Formats: sequence, C-alpha cells, structure tokens
Amino acid sequence: MLKPHRILADKISSYADEASAFMRRRRHHRRPYIRLQYRDGGATELHPEDPGSEEIMAAVSHLIACSP
Amino acid sequence: MPPKDKFNSGPGGPARAEALAQRSQLALDTLAGLEPELRAAAVISEDGEVLATTTGDDGWGVVAVELLEALEKAGPGELDSSHITTEDAEVFMVREAGFALVAVTARFVLASLTSFDVRMSLRDIALEAASGGVSGA
Repeated sequence: MLKPHRILADKISSYADEASAFMRRRRHHRRPYIRLQYRDGGATELHPEDPGSEEIMAAVSHLIACSP
Repeated sequence: MPPKDKFNSGPGGPARAEALAQRSQLALDTLAGLEPELRAAAVISEDGEVLATTTGDDGWGVVAVELLEALEKAGPGELDSSHITTEDAEVFMVREAGFALVAVTARFVLASLTSFDVRMSLRDIALEAASGGVSGA
C-alpha cells in the first residue's frame, strides 16, 4: 500500500504533466505558418521567419490590420 | 497593381462585369452566413480586379491582391490554395478557374471546413461565369 505522501506526490506530478502537455499543445497550435498547395498536388510549408516569407508575412499583416 | 478591366471590354462588357460583381457579392454574403468567424473576404478576378468584398471597401480588396501576388511569387508552380496563420488571425486563399477568394477569419477556426466553404463559394462564381449565367447582356 502506498504511503499517503506518495499518493499526494503522484497526484501533483500528474497535474504538472497535464499542464506541461497543455502548454506544449498550445505552443504548437499558436505557431504561425504558411502552407501553399499547388495545382499539381504538391504542397509547401514555409516558416514565417524565412527570408523568402518576408513579403508574404508583410502582406498578411497588412491585410489583417485592415480587416474589421 | 491597378486592376484591369477584362470584364468591361467586349459586347455587353459593363453589364457582364456588373452581373459578375453582384454574383460575387452574393457568394460572399452566403460565405459570411456560413462562417460566423469570418472577418473579411474578397473575390478577385484573374486580372487582379476586385469583384466584391465583404467590407464594401475596394481598398481592402487591393490589399488582398497584394497578398495574392506575394503568394504567387513564393512558389514554382501554379498556386491552388494557401492557408496562413498568425497569432491574430487566419488567412485562406483559394483559386478556381482564374478567380481567387481571399478570406480572413478569427484564430482557431476549423481549417478544412473553412477551406471547403471558401472553395465552394468560389466554385459557384466560376461555374456561373463559365456558363454565361452572369452575362447580363
């Protein structure tokens, strides 16, 4: 039989695990990205901080800023 | 880039352009009804002409055209669709039969569902334009 303090420690550590998993998922979901699909079925994912993505991100930011 | 007047040229051109703009506006209104998280959207012709916007402001459409041009420069192939997320909003772009629809939504919408609705709205416009349903002449 587990000692009471072990039950409490396990419970706290499981809550901490849940919280860290939530933060990890949240960080993943909030990650900005650019996904392009082409007529030939190909697809590309660009990182917003890549040099080639600067123009797209500038246009997107402007568009969102102008949106109601 | 100043929009060109492809739909204004030829016989019945202005009437056809007007009918196409009305059809595009109807499609955007329907899309706004389907997507409560939609913030703004615009339909753009192949020539970069803004046919309709949900904001009623062609200036927003011109900014959407700038995004379209930036996206087309990014890749080697013919662009079909794109999905861009930022910390503030999500942007969807779909191309169909020369037309493009750019939509800005709130964060965390269901991307596949929104893409589908955007594509169907644009397909309605493209089909009607192809069948001459918007000829208006």
